[in-house]
Amino acid sequence: MERKIKKVLIANRGVPAVRVMHTCRDKNIKTVAIYSTPDRLAYHVFLADEAVHIGEGPPLDSYLNMDKIIDVALRTNCDAIHPGWGFLAENPEFAEKVESAGLIWIGPPPQVIKLMGDKIRAKRVAQRANVPTIPALLKFNSIEDILNWMKEEEISFPLMIKAAYGGGGKGMVKVENKEELPIALEKARSEAKKAFGDETLLVEKYIERGRHIEVQVCADRYGHYLHFYERECTIQRRNQKILEEAPSPSIDDNMRQEICYTAIRLMREINYQSLGTVEFLLDPKTKRFYFLEVNTRLQVEHGITELITGVDLVSLMFDIAEGKPIPFFQEDILPNRHAIEARINAEDPRTFSPSFGTVTRLEIPQGPGIRIASGIYEGAEVPPYYDSLIMLVMAAGPDRKEAIRVLDRALSRGLRVEGVKTIAPLLLSIIRHSEFIEGNYSTRFIEEHYEELLSAFREKTSDDEALKIAQYIAEVSALGPQKWM
Amino acid sequence: MDYIFVQPGMSPKEIVKKVRELPGVCFVSVGMRDAGQSDYKNRLRIYDLKTLAPYYNEMGLFAAECHGGARWHVGIMNRRESPFEEIAILRELMPKVLLQTLIRETNMWGYRPYPKNIIEYVVERVDIDVWRCFSFLNDIRNMRTVAEVVMKKGKLFEPAISYTVAPWFDTKYYLKVVDEIVALCGGVDEIILCIKDMAGVGTITSVTELIDAIKQKYPDLVINYHRHITDGLAMPVLLAAAKVGAKIIDVQEDTLVRFYGHSPILAVEALFKEMGIPVHLNRKAAEKAVEKVREWIREYEWAESPFKGLDHMVTRHKMPGGAFPSSFEQAEKGGFLYLMPYILQVMSLYNQIVKYFDVTPGSQITWVTCSGIVNRYAKERGDVGVQHVINLLKKFVEEKKQDFSAMEPEEQEELLQLFRNAPGDFKNLLLGHYGRLPVGWPDEWVYRSAFGEAWQEKIKERKEESPLEAIPDEDLTLLRKQLEEEIGRPATEEEFILFLMHPKDAIDFIKFREKYGIAPLVLPTKVWREGLKKSGDKVEFEINGKPYCIELVSISLENEGMVYIVLKVNNKNRVFEVATPRAKKVEIRKATKFNEIGAPIKGTLWRIGNPQRGPLKIGDIVHKNEEIANLEAMKMENPILAPFDAQIVEICVRANQIVEEGQLLFVLQPVESLTPSETTRLEEVPC
Repeated sequence: MERKIKKVLIANRGVPAVRVMHTCRDKNIKTVAIYSTPDRLAYHVFLADEAVHIGEGPPLDSYLNMDKIIDVALRTNCDAIHPGWGFLAENPEFAEKVESAGLIWIGPPPQVIKLMGDKIRAKRVAQRANVPTIPALLKFNSIEDILNWMKEEEISFPLMIKAAYGGGGKGMVKVENKEELPIALEKARSEAKKAFGDETLLVEKYIERGRHIEVQVCADRYGHYLHFYERECTIQRRNQKILEEAPSPSIDDNMRQEICYTAIRLMREINYQSLGTVEFLLDPKTKRFYFLEVNTRLQVEHGITELITGVDLVSLMFDIAEGKPIPFFQEDILPNRHAIEARINAEDPRTFSPSFGTVTRLEIPQGPGIRIASGIYEGAEVPPYYDSLIMLVMAAGPDRKEAIRVLDRALSRGLRVEGVKTIAPLLLSIIRHSEFIEGNYSTRFIEEHYEELLSAFREKTSDDEALKIAQYIAEVSALGPQKWM
Repeated sequence: MDYIFVQPGMSPKEIVKKVRELPGVCFVSVGMRDAGQSDYKNRLRIYDLKTLAPYYNEMGLFAAECHGGARWHVGIMNRRESPFEEIAILRELMPKVLLQTLIRETNMWGYRPYPKNIIEYVVERVDIDVWRCFSFLNDIRNMRTVAEVVMKKGKLFEPAISYTVAPWFDTKYYLKVVDEIVALCGGVDEIILCIKDMAGVGTITSVTELIDAIKQKYPDLVINYHRHITDGLAMPVLLAAAKVGAKIIDVQEDTLVRFYGHSPILAVEALFKEMGIPVHLNRKAAEKAVEKVREWIREYEWAESPFKGLDHMVTRHKMPGGAFPSSFEQAEKGGFLYLMPYILQVMSLYNQIVKYFDVTPGSQITWVTCSGIVNRYAKERGDVGVQHVINLLKKFVEEKKQDFSAMEPEEQEELLQLFRNAPGDFKNLLLGHYGRLPVGWPDEWVYRSAFGEAWQEKIKERKEESPLEAIPDEDLTLLRKQLEEEIGRPATEEEFILFLMHPKDAIDFIKFREKYGIAPLVLPTKVWREGLKKSGDKVEFEINGKPYCIELVSISLENEGMVYIVLKVNNKNRVFEVATPRAKKVEIRKATKFNEIGAPIKGTLWRIGNPQRGPLKIGDIVHKNEEIANLEAMKMENPILAPFDAQIVEICVRANQIVEEGQLLFVLQPVESLTPSETTRLEEVPC
């Protein structure tokens, strides 16, 4: 049964909302944006065909306010809701409510979201599908339980505590020793509660110097399962990805085939539909990979897969939601490029503390091989309530070396953000670091090279210089000759 | 005809030979350094000075003094230019001219003796051809390190004798100093001797006698005479110096000449020529340089001394030309400009009691000491008091010939208080920290006056050796680390050297330049000082050859201390926010002490206390590692733990407040330091 989507509400803001709207425009689908009070003048609001105010700044009053969002969708005659990523994208209750309201949910079925959102059940399903998983303790009542399990399974510190319903690095805490356990559990529990509304935790063995590899999968309701190859997302800070690339430089073609078909096997097992990602952790010592989780949504880094395959994944999500079959086969997907994405977060590149305020200057990179998804414009406000991602800068080239070169051009010569701090200088130092260039890195790359990365050279253009001079002229023009002169 | 006879790259021996071979004299132009230092508080910017460089490049000068002295320090402090940038610019525009610095032996370009390893490190790395080096004590031992490094790297060392006219500084005295210099430099073939008459007090007779005596003893020694003009008699004395054998004369562009600097280049050339002394100078090029100055010198009227005019009384107080403007500046800032004539009188008496040369850092010591004495009397007893202390010193110096015992007991008592509040540098001078005084230590009563009861011990501590021996080396790696911590990134070699000279001002300079880039180098002086005034005013400059134009569109009215300025930067409108001094400053208290807990990052302090015990209040006792608050930033939680068992003395924020990194959250008092009564009292405080 096919249902045509003519108008969609995008239950998101910033970069994800903008990304989805671009495809809607291509597909001639009308868009409705929602916005909170501090987002009144945000970029996504004006890119949409219509916009509706949804509530105050705090997410619970606005972008997480399920009933209100559905109400707006109905009032504005939308056929569907696209959740983007973050906020309600992996909330099965919301997906259910959307469907019960007679709207199309652009994403996997609610029960799949629910199943995969429960890390403990997900792990069990994976084991059933013969997908290797990290040794874990899925249920415990006390610290004693954890210590006993470690003894039995011969597991030593460090451990990783995770929120059972978590994702995106939130509610994830690494524990180095016994003494840290109580505080770490408390921190993970509280973060989990706040971010996901549930404080159930699980404990896993920590894989040292692990590499984070994920497979992009897509399935329609007719049982067609396809993969779009893998992405590597090993460069992280505080368990959040900041630099992703495809294909992964860590694996060869044999392992690539194995990991991709393992992902499909798992997705088949759970009757997955729509776009989704299976995340694995690769232990570089043993060359074994372990299932981490399934992301039941569009991912931030989907763009690099689009760059290497030439497919619009968001468009595919719409088609599948409309009930159309995937219009091509696995053998049609032939990646022939290398792509890298840099997440431009509004954060202090030294401390990662969030930076908000007005974007006083914005210059967007251009030129061959560059793709940009921006949630801001020059003059826009970055409010303190939300995720710090303000822009994605992607670069593609015939091989990894060329892709790095293009990204270097984009970050050093093209991108300029002033008014808020961004991690762009850090990203630039990472892609210039010899270990990164050689593909020799782990999830702890930033911690390990912190000092070098911070001290790395930052390129300045003559325009940057001219603006500094202008700043001086402005001050002297306003204030007259200065005392220190 | 090509007038270039000496050039960078020549060996010192070659340069000295070339000067000796000249039939007459040649010039150093001090237009780029001492001229500005003497009459314009060192504010002449490289932006303007560099316009002279193409002419200098053809003039056939011996050298251009363009570096050192106070120009270095004022450069980073007030002009926001680095001496390294200046050298680079001048090297490019006048590659055929020897660049000359003025360095104060161990005090280099600062005001304190630096340790030997810093002197070596810095001198090795500064690209200068002629190193004029003086000691305000004529303590030639102090020049050793500079001389060694300069001569080793094949540059010309130009030792200077500090010169003044006083009964105790006779020709015999100066000849002894010259002997020491010749001994230090291993002869006369690779150096040039400078006679640095920094107050400009040499007379025709005294200078003729001195140069004649030196030439008789060292016929091959090349002499450069440097003389300020304040007494009004400079040109005849320059002529006398040239007649008796000085080969190099310091001059500056006629249009730069005011009252405290040097003689006009074109006039000196004309005078010498008329008197039959050949002058090596491309006069046409010099005329153009003189003309060029007119284009920008009016922009510096604000920097000129408030006391204008020549004054022969300089021969008494002997304040050097270079020290005048800064003294006036300080007097004006301190609101005691009207006391200047009295301070100068006290100086003329003081310099007979403590005998050295009034040139940096000596001139600063003299100035601060004497202005301090006069100010103290003025404050305590008004004009009568000032007159009283002058009379007292006159009686002591002129009438009683400094015989302390000949003064009345109450006068002795007053003299013993004279230096009690003198600056630390004055006391260090008495203790030999700068080196030996030129004609011996001052009388005992000066020590009693400066140090009170401890005077005898202090005399024992007095150092006889050079500061080069006395000052221990500093740890350069550690210093570099300090700088890099301060600026938060690796420092360049040049930044490090600036920091070694003037740590605090170098950091200010680096931060200024990080914020405003090369504004000091590219903006015309009017815009640099005043900005753009009315809509449509614009300024044009180039960066790497790319043209930039900044045009003023509008300046808003002030609103709550903020002014908004719209500028067109290469046709693109941009708004700049400027906070006026009236802008409301939200004072954020930062955690600084061990018992103050600050926010680890910027974020929302969403919980004070922890789930187990609920919110905390003032007076609560918390335990080590107990969570006392939680900070959320970008959905990540950051527990804040008590660092020790403590009582909460103050909670400085509200729950759900957005806090800055480092912002003070709690003040704690360690439990062990609490007395029982304190515990009670604190708990009674309502929260």
